[in-house]
Amino acid sequence: MNERKAAGVTDRRLALRNYIKLYLILIRTSIRSRMQYRFNFALGTLLAAIIQLSEFLMVAIVLAKFGAVRGWTMHEVGYLFAVMTLAKTLYRTFANEVHNLERYLVEGELDQLLTKPLPVLLSLMPRGFRLMPGELLQGGAILAWAFGEMLQTGQVTWWAVPQTLFAIVTGGVVLFAIGMATATCGFWTTRISMLQNMTEDAAQTAARYPLTLYPGWMSGLLLTAIPVGLVGYLPALYILRGELGLWVFPVLAAASCLAVLLALRFWKFGISKYQSTGS
Amino acid sequence: METISSRAVPTVQAEREAAIEAVGLCKSFKTPVVAQGRFSGIRSLFSREYTTKEAVRDIGFTVEKGDFVGYIGPNGAGKSTTIKMLTGILHPSSGSVKLAGVDPHRDRLRCASRLGVVFGQRSQLWWDLPVKDSYDILAHMYGVKDTDKARRLGEFAELLDLREFWDTPVRKLSLGQRMRADIAAAMLHDPELLFLDEPTIGLDVNAKRNIRGFLKVLNEEFGKTILLTTHDMDDIEQLCRRVMVIGGGRLTYDGTVEGLRREIGLPTEIKVTYRDGYVLPRQGDDLIIAADSRFAMHIVSRTESTLTVEVNRQEVRTMDVLRELGHWGEIEDVEMREPDFEEIIRRVYG
Amino acid sequence: MISFRSNTRLYRALAAKAYARNIQYRGSHLLHNFASAAFGYLYACIWMGLGRDHSLGDYGTIGMMHYITFTQTSLWVASFTTMGLGIPQSVRTGQIALDLMRPVHLFAHLMAKEWGQIAYQFLYKSIPIYIVMQLALGLTPIDGGRTLPLALTALAGAAYMTICMNYMMGISALWTTESSWLYWGNQALMNLLAGFFIPLEWLPGWLQTVAWASPYPFMLYAPTQFYLGKGDPVLLLGTLAWCAALTLLCMLSTKALRHKVEVQGG
Repeated sequence: MNERKAAGVTDRRLALRNYIKLYLILIRTSIRSRMQYRFNFALGTLLAAIIQLSEFLMVAIVLAKFGAVRGWTMHEVGYLFAVMTLAKTLYRTFANEVHNLERYLVEGELDQLLTKPLPVLLSLMPRGFRLMPGELLQGGAILAWAFGEMLQTGQVTWWAVPQTLFAIVTGGVVLFAIGMATATCGFWTTRISMLQNMTEDAAQTAARYPLTLYPGWMSGLLLTAIPVGLVGYLPALYILRGELGLWVFPVLAAASCLAVLLALRFWKFGISKYQSTGS
Repeated sequence: METISSRAVPTVQAEREAAIEAVGLCKSFKTPVVAQGRFSGIRSLFSREYTTKEAVRDIGFTVEKGDFVGYIGPNGAGKSTTIKMLTGILHPSSGSVKLAGVDPHRDRLRCASRLGVVFGQRSQLWWDLPVKDSYDILAHMYGVKDTDKARRLGEFAELLDLREFWDTPVRKLSLGQRMRADIAAAMLHDPELLFLDEPTIGLDVNAKRNIRGFLKVLNEEFGKTILLTTHDMDDIEQLCRRVMVIGGGRLTYDGTVEGLRREIGLPTEIKVTYRDGYVLPRQGDDLIIAADSRFAMHIVSRTESTLTVEVNRQEVRTMDVLRELGHWGEIEDVEMREPDFEEIIRRVYG
Repeated sequence: MISFRSNTRLYRALAAKAYARNIQYRGSHLLHNFASAAFGYLYACIWMGLGRDHSLGDYGTIGMMHYITFTQTSLWVASFTTMGLGIPQSVRTGQIALDLMRPVHLFAHLMAKEWGQIAYQFLYKSIPIYIVMQLALGLTPIDGGRTLPLALTALAGAAYMTICMNYMMGISALWTTESSWLYWGNQALMNLLAGFFIPLEWLPGWLQTVAWASPYPFMLYAPTQFYLGKGDPVLLLGTLAWCAALTLLCMLSTKALRHKVEVQGG
């Protein structure tokens, strides 16, 4: 009995090691194949960064003129922007195929994933791995700019950097959970782009600004049902404004884990539904 | 469920178990009825009516280790539904499937590592990466050791001529090249059982020959069990010793290829043009019995001056048919056509 | 000589076909409007938030909410058009050579199709979004709707300008594969320079100069000013001038395109 259990554990450890190696190869080969078109790559990256920058510029100009929105300064709002961008980049770098599930459902490409010796989600994710340097550049630039000012004025200390990185990671996990839950609806409705427009695009845009802007029901929604408020706003309350307390971080960790677990259960339910009724 | 004893003697058990064992497989789908008439859109929001469509009815068969089986049938007959149930993609409504004794629906992950699947229309390779990178990634996905991977790829490279596009991104490959790469990918983890869904569709003659050769080697030299669905009867004739035909959700034939040919016979269409019209012995009938009742022929189509009939040339000689047809008018021209195997299957077994 | 005139029936047919192509999806499009309205609502909330702490110049909070409502509504007419009018796709498939051979000028041909698309979007996207936002923000149409005719005229001009700009961007596909970047870049510039979110008078001085040197203000800002009842009719002259200038550029671009296709085989 013990021997079988031990064998199972070493199997799993081996499988995990293989899976990590798989991703390392994927990252290496993705970079290599992108680098082959160096000029295109650089130009594309730059253009992407600039284009996305314009949305922040819009708001920055307003804030430069008016001073602050609901007590949040331009740099603080920039921080919210950057954290959301980087969290989203994390999510879409690794789990882009979850976001694109509609294509798999419409073209029946999910079937071949069911023949792999991995849970569907784990077979799905490597297929769409892609680097997003433009977004990294944009998010990083705005974050550096915001930090630059806030470090100078003493609003934050250097501790804010690792804290922010932590928030970006948990934020990415939360966005992943929201994306997975939205995609799962596709098992019933097939088309999910409109739903995604709301739960991902609209919600992420909303959370780039302090939640105090919105009516109570909306900010409540953005902290619970579609918890994008946990990505930037909640950590910023502590990191930038000293509100709440250090407990924010374990809460973020717990909330993101909970979100993912719930989304996973829903996903598994969706898969089993797919397996009994087909496409 | 695994018991201690079954774990103690694994190899002997595996030898005794059939590669594929399907018993009483059924699959029905509930499709919503599209409401008609007034306010149909709103009505469908509140209540939906469903019809049940039985895609697969009570299919059962056994495939032994080392068999090479063809699985054919007209489109919509339940072919792909059966394959999906066999590979664990779709859960059967009732019935059971066992692959080497393991149920792919209870134990999907365990089955998947012993299974190789090739979908003709889709690739499992990474679109933007060179072919060799896909193999590296897949090797890690299946836990294939580097030495094994190198050895196997070496063998496949020889048989499938992979080296010519080893470094090319998959999206730049021709269809034939991609199919060869996909088959090698499916065999990378050395599965005992290989499913192929229309692997030769759209390929040129050379590519088909190359792939058929590879499959033959896999079966005859490496002892792999192969189940092949196809619309190309040459695949069946050249590779399979056994063929199963599915029609209307049921297994309508399960036997050898020669047996199938014999059952179908040699249907031929004979089109005759008459000089001055013709008179049928009995008007309004599609089936004509010859004057001396030696054979029957179906009337497929007719115009004012032509008549097309179908006969089974295994039962009757062309000359006899023409002589009979000549009784009905003066023959000016004759054309003969053998409908392809696919069409016959559809007509006889669809 | 390629004729522009005697083909009005053809143009009407092209526009009608584009319109009809969209109609079958109107159910999902109408639902999609809620998502678009959500974005509008977000931007309105920002201004409402700003309005609580600052005076919003000439506009005031209510004025800004009207502003945002109208710009959001106008996006589907003045901004969200078929990328490059479908030319990049046509270049990829080689269809462009056939299109150039037709007795109808390429510009007129594609423009007619796009007008059909814009008409559909106006009816099934702009109007519903306008209504939803009014309801959500508790607004009523300005001056009982009397400012709408002038505003919509300016908007029609804006639509024409977008068609021209997309036409030229589409043609660039013959020289570069990155035409989709141009499209997104254009959108980004519109965000900043067309007064989509911020009335132009609140931009820093140098940026205002840049904006007014471009056609962008006439695409969103000018129609919105008319809607708010603040627009100086002289703005319409600006719209007209840009329409003429862009038309000229389109004609020149077509010449260049034709030259490239005929001489180099596309």
